[in-house]
Amino acid sequence: MKKILTIASGFLLFTLALVWWLDSRQVHPVALIPTLTGQPEYCLTCHADLPEISPSHPVKTFGCVICHGGERLALDADLAHSSMRGEANPSDLSVVEASCGGSACHSGSAADERDHIQRVLTSVQSTYAGAIASIRYTFGAQPDLKAYFGIAAITDEQTQTGITSLAAFDPTSANNPSIQKFGENCLTCHLHTRPREGLAYERQTGCAACHATAEHTFSTAIPYTQCNACHNRGNYDLQTMTFVERSDQSIKRIDNYYQPIAQFTQCEYTLDCVDCHTRIEVMGDGDIHANQKSIEYVQCKTCHGTPTELPLTKTLTDPNDIAFRLALLNPVVDLKLGETILVTEKGEPLWNTRVLPGGSYELIGKATQQYFIFRPVMGSGCTQNGQDQSSAYCHECHAVER
Amino acid sequence: MRPSFFHHLHPPTIPAAQARWRYTLGAGGTAIFLMLVLGLTGILEMFYYVPNPDQAALSVQTITYLVPFGGLVRNLHYWAAQLLLVVVAIHLLRVIFTAAYSQPRSFNYLLGLALFVLSVLFDFTGYILRWDIDVCWPLVTGTNLLKTIPLIGDFLFRIAVGGGQACSTALLRFYTWHIFGLTIVVTILAIWHAFRVRRDGGIAVPPPQLRRENARISRDELVRREVLAMFVVGIALILLASFIPAPIAPAMTGKPNLTAEARAPWFFLWIQQMLKWGDPFLWGVLVPLGMLAVLALVPYVFPKPAESEVGRWFPKSNRLAQMVVSLIVLIIIALTLFSLIPV
Repeated sequence: MKKILTIASGFLLFTLALVWWLDSRQVHPVALIPTLTGQPEYCLTCHADLPEISPSHPVKTFGCVICHGGERLALDADLAHSSMRGEANPSDLSVVEASCGGSACHSGSAADERDHIQRVLTSVQSTYAGAIASIRYTFGAQPDLKAYFGIAAITDEQTQTGITSLAAFDPTSANNPSIQKFGENCLTCHLHTRPREGLAYERQTGCAACHATAEHTFSTAIPYTQCNACHNRGNYDLQTMTFVERSDQSIKRIDNYYQPIAQFTQCEYTLDCVDCHTRIEVMGDGDIHANQKSIEYVQCKTCHGTPTELPLTKTLTDPNDIAFRLALLNPVVDLKLGETILVTEKGEPLWNTRVLPGGSYELIGKATQQYFIFRPVMGSGCTQNGQDQSSAYCHECHAVER
Repeated sequence: MRPSFFHHLHPPTIPAAQARWRYTLGAGGTAIFLMLVLGLTGILEMFYYVPNPDQAALSVQTITYLVPFGGLVRNLHYWAAQLLLVVVAIHLLRVIFTAAYSQPRSFNYLLGLALFVLSVLFDFTGYILRWDIDVCWPLVTGTNLLKTIPLIGDFLFRIAVGGGQACSTALLRFYTWHIFGLTIVVTILAIWHAFRVRRDGGIAVPPPQLRRENARISRDELVRREVLAMFVVGIALILLASFIPAPIAPAMTGKPNLTAEARAPWFFLWIQQMLKWGDPFLWGVLVPLGMLAVLALVPYVFPKPAESEVGRWFPKSNRLAQMVVSLIVLIIIALTLFSLIPV
């Protein structure tokens, strides 16, 4: 019996040694106490090699959990990630309010220009209202081109467009087989949804669809390639209601850039989309719009003016002007109080432009940081009819060839 | 030489036949050992556990991941608790199948049965203390079963839950029961149960003239066997605790997490299965209590085992009791297995 006890003690000691060895292999917890929450988080134990997501969201201030959710004290991957919002993308529109919202963050008041989430949720890129209305009208499911349906149900009580709500579009309940096929084949390009399979289509959902320019990176310097993931992948065949992928991939910018029509000018491929298309155009103005046309308003004249009018400008006298905040987020220019920039017809600042002494203007590409100087139309040899501002007029003379 | 305290707790000699591993299976002693492990690991956990609904689950995560060896202590506590239920069930069955419950041991049998029920309550209250998303549904279901009891149901519910919504208010009550209320009762009953073993004449054996063999072992040998059992069980516990972690989940949100996998703890799966059949009072309260009543009546209602057969496995004289209890056990096991089949 004594011998058995000795052997058993030996096994017990071995087990204790095993315990000690297992403990020594445990990861060393790395704590982070973000200033916004004051609560320790241990995500960095495993994720220390992730880049800072953006200068305006430093990890020392925000930490990880305030955006991503998750179990902040867990060192086991399954538990730590189990309550994360939106899996790897907390800006997915199903969870964006919990992740990016808050009155001091991105679902505040329009007056503070902090209502991004409300604007994006009502924007055409989310609702897809125009495409849905067009298809339903074309195939006889509705009598006009008014917007009745969106990808997700949305309401807007303070509407300026007269559209107070959209119902959720359910293509499976449509009578017309073309509308059903539309639902099956053509709904992979709005902000709620994951894209089609394929490297060329890769993008995130929600806010990250545009703003995530690299792994775990936010940016407002959004290059045209980001937009190409949806806007330049091919075309639709309405008869068969299928998507026809483009066959001409190219690395040359002039070939790779999205052009809605065959004619385009130099700035329409050397600038990035975000250099012209403003925040209201892309993220919406908070109202439900029936289609893309009703929200897009920037034209050539916005920067170049007409034969009889100079482009609109604004001198920055208020240090709290949104232009300074935008310039801070993407410091391609060093904007100073007192400088004059271009503005759009709706008052949106084109903060990466400046009025130069002598009557010309400069623009610095938001994504390329390329420097351009340009003159207004007024006082030049342009023979355009000032009343007709359709792009065909400008393309007539200024179009470039591929 | 005068025996030490621990040696003195044991009788000077005990019959060799009943001291064999294959007779007792060491179940009773193992149960005491597991209770000691639970007490020690439980006290260690009390240094970090916070019985407040907002912080409970986080404190469990703190113990598991951030306290040195906290994960080991918690896992030991969990596995000792689950093994305890298995071991006390084995001990109960051993007592029945060796007819060791007959007079003068019948009262001690009832004490043991009470300890068995209290062990289950201990496991349930401890499980609830995790206060994570997986425990809200079993908590609501279990406490609602109290409400189905006529006359005293609402009163029992208020005692158990301390308010209207189980998943908001029950934590502190369950903590108090688990740490203090049940502990005091179990400590008293366990000591009484162990004392009664000696008072009733030690381990159940036939009277001297009917014994098959007269060999005996000394208290020193008995203690050595107990120490060996503690080593073996200890090693098993440490290995289980090191390689299979206790369940852990995000904190409770106050609403039951009604997923397809929402389920009772393993020892109540058989009741969960029965609850699918209809009236919750009948299947959730009456039938389990009925089974308990049958077990409690084994020494009193069933034919008394013959004196010569006490202290042996499967005596002929209490066949009826053996068959009835086997049936109950098989039903419980079958119900448990059925509940695990995916719907």
